[in-house]
Amino acid sequence: MVYTKKSPALFIIGIIMLSIWFMADSGILAPYIEHLGGKKYKYTAELLQIPLYFGILSVAIGLWQWFGNHTENHWDYYSSTVAGAMFILLIAMLVRWFVAPEIAVISTAMGKVGQTGSYIHKLLGLNYVVIGIVVGILVVNVFKVPEWARNGVRVSRLGLKTGVILLGTLYSAAELKNLGGLSIIMIGFFVLGSVGIVLWMGSRMKIPNSMGGVLSAGMGVCGVSATVAAAPVVQAKSVEIAYTIGTILLWGVGCMFAFPIIGNLLGMSHVQFGAWAGTGILNSAQVAGAALAFQPDGIETLKVAEIFNITRVLILPIIVLWLAVWYVKREESATQVNVGRVIFEKFPVFVLGFILLFALSTTGIFAPANHYKGKYFGNTTETGFKESKLLKADQKTLLQSEIASVQRDDRRTALQRLIDNGKVMSIGDDDTLRGLINAKVLSKDANSILKAAHKSVRHTAKMIKAFRQWITWLFAFGLVGLGMQITISSMKQAGGQPAVIGGVVGLLKATLSLVVVMMLVSETI
Amino acid sequence: MNDEQQEFERGSSLSIFGSDRKEDFMALIFALAIAFGVYVFT
Repeated sequence: MVYTKKSPALFIIGIIMLSIWFMADSGILAPYIEHLGGKKYKYTAELLQIPLYFGILSVAIGLWQWFGNHTENHWDYYSSTVAGAMFILLIAMLVRWFVAPEIAVISTAMGKVGQTGSYIHKLLGLNYVVIGIVVGILVVNVFKVPEWARNGVRVSRLGLKTGVILLGTLYSAAELKNLGGLSIIMIGFFVLGSVGIVLWMGSRMKIPNSMGGVLSAGMGVCGVSATVAAAPVVQAKSVEIAYTIGTILLWGVGCMFAFPIIGNLLGMSHVQFGAWAGTGILNSAQVAGAALAFQPDGIETLKVAEIFNITRVLILPIIVLWLAVWYVKREESATQVNVGRVIFEKFPVFVLGFILLFALSTTGIFAPANHYKGKYFGNTTETGFKESKLLKADQKTLLQSEIASVQRDDRRTALQRLIDNGKVMSIGDDDTLRGLINAKVLSKDANSILKAAHKSVRHTAKMIKAFRQWITWLFAFGLVGLGMQITISSMKQAGGQPAVIGGVVGLLKATLSLVVVMMLVSETI
Repeated sequence: MNDEQQEFERGSSLSIFGSDRKEDFMALIFALAIAFGVYVFT
């Protein structure tokens, strides 16, 4: 059959993209961009490039699809996906540039939530990922996917897989050495334990392997990235991914409010609460929200929670490998076959790509090896520090004059080292000085100096920034397409079991980690 | 039969490719091409 539809759809999509570019370039969109945040609006550069390139491409291919003669062959089959792919991309553009920022504006206007120091859209994880899936679900259930776009929707998983491979560049095994031993042991135990329990419960409750697999990654590791990374590994259906993300986010919201209350009732220390929140809460933003709600006047709790959270994310490659082997073995277990041969034949190759880029990232080829998501500490010229950022004499004098007001020894020592050397000397000092800034012990001017000193030793790697950009777009594309594969009937078919398993495992993890933290964690790690 | 189980003449409801391995290799090629591009041009 001939797959290419003689339709003006792709041409019209191209015209819409070019119109967006024209309105951004000519300034027609300027008042709206001002409303969305003005200088804080992050997407101006994207608006001036991406719709132009893809608009031209869509118009050119759209004209050919509309007026050309098409015959049955490979080219016809693969090129017929362009219309649907551009349809998804257009929706992803609208979500990322306009819908998500608009929701952020409304949420910001509503003010911060209690003591969490964060806005509701951040705490609920209402970013382009979640909104993209929801818009995709609305498109398919309210309007139905048009005939000309059907083939294109089937390339969304290819986009997700490409994004997952590139996700490997954001992490580095070298970062592990900066983490505490206890965090690695605790997180290792709870992550692997959660994954194992979900898989076990899943098989007991007879939910599909794909559902159990994707839910275990989401509940065990952390939020959306882990879910998206594990989904193709276990061949999860769209609705299973959506269920997992929904379960994680809802569970996280509950934890975020409950954890600080319990922490205060039990009189937990900052370190204890940070360790507990970093282990028991699933989503990074919600971990930070709970930590700040527990300790609004400093960042000791947040810092510990961050360490635990980072440790958890760094275990992701191990979980992906585990699930890949587990899934292949489970699916083939009905027939007596050579497990090694089955793994060789069925093991998802893109996982190896993910591990390859993770390994390359660890060597430091894209950024200094100790980076985490492209951010790294460097106080030498080789690692990006500029000599012009060294503290000036008058700044040193001001800090020296205020040092007596610093009560805590660790903060005073770190501050003295900063004064003596003119720059922050270690990651530890940097964290301590951030705590000092947050505690508001020093004058406003002194705090400004500390903030500048902190900024001068924290860098973002350009290459990783570019990778993040690619990953963002591939995920946005993949998840909008994924949403378009979720129908109401498929949601009914999946039932409520995933939420039940998620809730049980989440509660178990939170309770057990609380017990372990109270027994093993003292004030310092 | 739900939408995800719907049969297609070529590929499946989740992919335009005939096998997962083919899709994996395509994703790998795209990802490595992007990584190479980022490495060279950034």
